[in-house]
Amino acid sequence: MQITPDEWIFLEWRGIVLNATVVFTWGVMAILSLGSWIITRRLSEGETVSRWQVALEVIVGTIRDQIDQVGAQRPERYLPFIGTLFLFIATANLLMIVPGYRPPTGSLSTTAALAICVLVAVPLFAILQRGLSGYLKSYVQPNIIMLPFNIISELSRTLALAVRLYGNVMSGTVIAGILVSVAPFFFPVLMQLLGLLTGMIQAYIFAVLAMVYIAAATRAEQKTADNDPQDQGA
Amino acid sequence: MQIDWLTVAAQIVNFLILVWLLQKLLYGPIINAMKRREERIEERLSDARETREAAEEEAQNLKQKQADLDARKEEIREQARQEAEDLRRRREREIEQEADEQRAALRERIEAERDEALRDIRKRAAASTFTAIRDILRDFANADLTNEMATRFAEHLKTLPGDDKDRLSKAAQEADEPARVIGSTELPSAIRSKLTRAIHQTFAEDLEVEYETDPDMLLGLRLSISGQTAEWSASRHLDRLEEDIRETLTHAVPAQTQKDAA
Repeated sequence: MQITPDEWIFLEWRGIVLNATVVFTWGVMAILSLGSWIITRRLSEGETVSRWQVALEVIVGTIRDQIDQVGAQRPERYLPFIGTLFLFIATANLLMIVPGYRPPTGSLSTTAALAICVLVAVPLFAILQRGLSGYLKSYVQPNIIMLPFNIISELSRTLALAVRLYGNVMSGTVIAGILVSVAPFFFPVLMQLLGLLTGMIQAYIFAVLAMVYIAAATRAEQKTADNDPQDQGA
Repeated sequence: MQIDWLTVAAQIVNFLILVWLLQKLLYGPIINAMKRREERIEERLSDARETREAAEEEAQNLKQKQADLDARKEEIREQARQEAEDLRRRREREIEQEADEQRAALRERIEAERDEALRDIRKRAAASTFTAIRDILRDFANADLTNEMATRFAEHLKTLPGDDKDRLSKAAQEADEPARVIGSTELPSAIRSKLTRAIHQTFAEDLEVEYETDPDMLLGLRLSISGQTAEWSASRHLDRLEEDIRETLTHAVPAQTQKDAA
């Protein structure tokens, strides 16, 4: 039994391997891009709006509101990154019900890639917001002694992100596979339903956590500025 | 469970491409469409607000104009009322004045008529009294009133106070015109002689005396020498009579005037 779709090789040419992870990722990308293109091709700005456009507006509006609720200023800035994380993971997980499909999120390579993206995005947004020195200063807060712990925290949470998503999705797939061999009727259906729920929750958790990290990094200076008067007063 | 780093790299690239694609195809258009719709709604709301504000302003202006008109109307009404009041007062004053003038004219006319009547009464009373006394004297005392009157006048001249007598004596001596004796009736020659004698004895022996008749003289005689006069008459009695009548009329006339005014 293949635990990860990385092991499902579609094509191999001069050492370059095209596995199921990449192929299904392309499929998810194609569905998202084509769907968006078809719907947004004829956008209405008037009072009468097509139901597909309403659905997209609700999804995008909800993601934007979630980003706003986490506390980030200018949610439009983070919308493409966070929104794509959520939509990609959610779509990849929901397609689990298609026979023969293996979610690319069940591959540690994919979740690691997404976690690395978050790892890079957090300092990137923080530097854009606060400048390089402002961001680097946050590593020695509240004290220089905290520097190694801050670095470990940064790396460990990235690892946790990757492993959490991988573990959940992979386990769902593996449990479904095992149950199919043990009890081929009824149970796999329940597990698939549970898998859909878990997949949506994981997509939400991954996106919200990424946003929390970004918000924490971009707001650190503001917090420090807020704390300063108290320190002076104390 | 192992990480294929080539796949990781491919997935990073895939994810970044997906971010770019969705930004181009999904978030950009959707956010823009929502923003434009919000802007248009905001614009319409703003237009509606402006229209309402304009309408409210217009309503306010109209209300203000209405209030101004009301105030102006009230002002004009007040002015007209004031003018009417002034006119009424002026007319009242004029009427009062006119009435006062008429009343004064009436009173003057009444007084003039009363005076005229009094003069007439006095004259008639004197004539009647003279006639009556003369007749009484003639019938009961066998005396002539004219003679008695002349006798009384002669005595009066003789008993004149010193100053008056001196004044007349001086006038008689310096006189270059005859002395005049004026009576209400024609004096008989006997009485004239008697009087002439009395005058000669009292003032000057050679004084020429003329006799005249004046109906206005009433009951009595008057001696006039170069402007100096001495008089004896029943004027005092007539004056009292006139006073009585005047008093009676004065009491009667206002009552009559009030009755006329009513």
